[in-house]
Amino acid sequence: MPDAAVTVRGLSKRYGNVEALTDLSFTVERGEIFGLVGPNGAGKSTTLRILATLLTPDDGEAVVFGADTQTDPNAVREAIRYLPEEAGAYENLTGRGFLSFVAGFYAEDPDPMVERGVELADLDERITDKTGDYSKGMTRRLLLASALMTEPRLAILDEPTSGLDVRNAREIREVIQSYPGEERSVILSSHDMLEVEYLCDRVGLVDRGRVVAAGTPAELVAQTGTQNLEDAFLEVTA
Amino acid sequence: MSDFLRLVRKEARELLRPRYIVPILVVPIVFLAMGQGFSGVEDGANEEPAVGLVMNDSGRYADLLEETYDRRANVTYRGANVSAETAIEETRGSGGKTVIVVPRNFTERIEDGAAPGRVETYTVVDNLGIAGISSAGAGTAPLGEASQVIAANATGAPPGQLSPITATETSIVRGERVDASPSSINSDLFGQLFFVPVVIVVVIVFSGQMVMNSMGIENENKTMETLLTMPVARRTIVAAKLAGSAVIGLFAAGLLAGSMFYYQSSLSFGDGGGGLPAQFSLGPAEYALIGVSVFLAVVAALAMALCLGIFAGDQQGAQVLVLPIAFVAGAPAAVTVFTDIGALSLPLQAIVYANPFTYPSLAPKALLVGDPLVIVGGTVYQLVFAAAMVGLAVRLFGSDRVVTGDAGRLSDIFESLQR
Repeated sequence: MPDAAVTVRGLSKRYGNVEALTDLSFTVERGEIFGLVGPNGAGKSTTLRILATLLTPDDGEAVVFGADTQTDPNAVREAIRYLPEEAGAYENLTGRGFLSFVAGFYAEDPDPMVERGVELADLDERITDKTGDYSKGMTRRLLLASALMTEPRLAILDEPTSGLDVRNAREIREVIQSYPGEERSVILSSHDMLEVEYLCDRVGLVDRGRVVAAGTPAELVAQTGTQNLEDAFLEVTA
Repeated sequence: MSDFLRLVRKEARELLRPRYIVPILVVPIVFLAMGQGFSGVEDGANEEPAVGLVMNDSGRYADLLEETYDRRANVTYRGANVSAETAIEETRGSGGKTVIVVPRNFTERIEDGAAPGRVETYTVVDNLGIAGISSAGAGTAPLGEASQVIAANATGAPPGQLSPITATETSIVRGERVDASPSSINSDLFGQLFFVPVVIVVVIVFSGQMVMNSMGIENENKTMETLLTMPVARRTIVAAKLAGSAVIGLFAAGLLAGSMFYYQSSLSFGDGGGGLPAQFSLGPAEYALIGVSVFLAVVAALAMALCLGIFAGDQQGAQVLVLPIAFVAGAPAAVTVFTDIGALSLPLQAIVYANPFTYPSLAPKALLVGDPLVIVGGTVYQLVFAAAMVGLAVRLFGSDRVVTGDAGRLSDIFESLQR
């Protein structure tokens, strides 16, 4: 049986006196969408940043497709694309120019990748406008397209629909939902329980720096004897 | 295209946006305009002045004065026995600005010898700018020559007796004999002892500002995290930021240096100095050493700016954080321009020599007076310092700090500076 896409064991991380993560563990299987759910400050973004090699844990390990984020960060970066919660694009580039800039790091011939990105972004003629003129929803779609066009083995998406209107959020969910494959997994964080229930194959409920429960949305609801994931979350974090 | 070149292009493209480049272009434009203005003053001063002459005396010395004006000026109006107001009006009407009135007793007074011949001059100043005042004063300049001509004619004395004293000036500079006055030497050395250090400081500050801008852009656009998770070595990202910022910084500094040189040249009309012997000019080897020293200073400043830029919250914060670098780079230039480091107290000398930005500013002066060892040693010190700063930048880019912006014990200082 192949390794899991992501294996996180006993992660701890402190910012000064604040304990962001405490012995946090979970796994993401190949081909699945895994959701980290929790309130603000629960440790979701810190976990994703450790997986993206941006932060180093004080303790524990995070392994992505067999590569340790601390000892082999370059191999991890080859396997992932990371979409931060508040990411932006270079305002002086057009949407197509930004996709081309990113694609250049991943392919000898970036043109097919750029065309895939243009298709995923679905911005029509606005793809040739400067990104500084984009709305938040357009920027988010461009960034998600730039992340997925490179076909990473693991897409790390931090609050992918945060702050978007209903239409933009739904379109982005559809793109994410269609992404996983045998060698393509997604880990995302969200506050939106409905979104998580709709998108994720499995969910980890995060509270005060640790995963307090994990399973499919149906399993978590059944385990807690509640009606939905939101109630299940409130039940296990009570 | 390699990842490095792709990143350098990205840096350059972002930094060449009007909002970053226009403020930097303003200063060279001001210098060019000022230089143009002073060139205009020089041109105006060299032009033949247009004057009006009112000759109320027909004696021989009045004739000599009139002949001098005919040679040295464009006499646009001539009159006799008219009021000054009329003469001024007529002269203005014919394009002149100065009226010389020679009174009836002009020749008589000189012949008596008891008192000098007196003339009245009226100058119209319509333009209160430097060019206007300078050109307005030109109309009375021929009076000096007329005075010499009349004195020679009245006394019959040869030129040597009319100007009986002339001096040859020799200065001993650090034991070297130079056949020029200290003011002439100052004029000749100005470019090397003042202009070069100032340009060096400008290069350092502009380059530092560019790399700060680069970090400010990443922080404002929130692109840094995305960039850091791409499959590019952190040292490549650091090198691209340094190179991209250096290219734009050097371009901007080159523009400023050129405009300052033009401005300075426009000021130095007239006596350009006495001409210095070969030992007071720099050769190719000295220029090469200065170049290496400046290059290392720029690299060190860029790396320092990159380290500080990590803690810049946004564009405005980045502008504030560049100030410490400007001070550290600018202080030695001020010291080397206005005093001699050897004249400072020992503790102050130690502080100045410990500053790696001292050596490029000091280099022209030290190499001119044959003291290259201090510059060679200083350049080695700069090499070590620059390598340490680049190493620190790479280390910071590989740490959590580039994401969290946490400056540890310095956090409070950085935050209060950027507030």
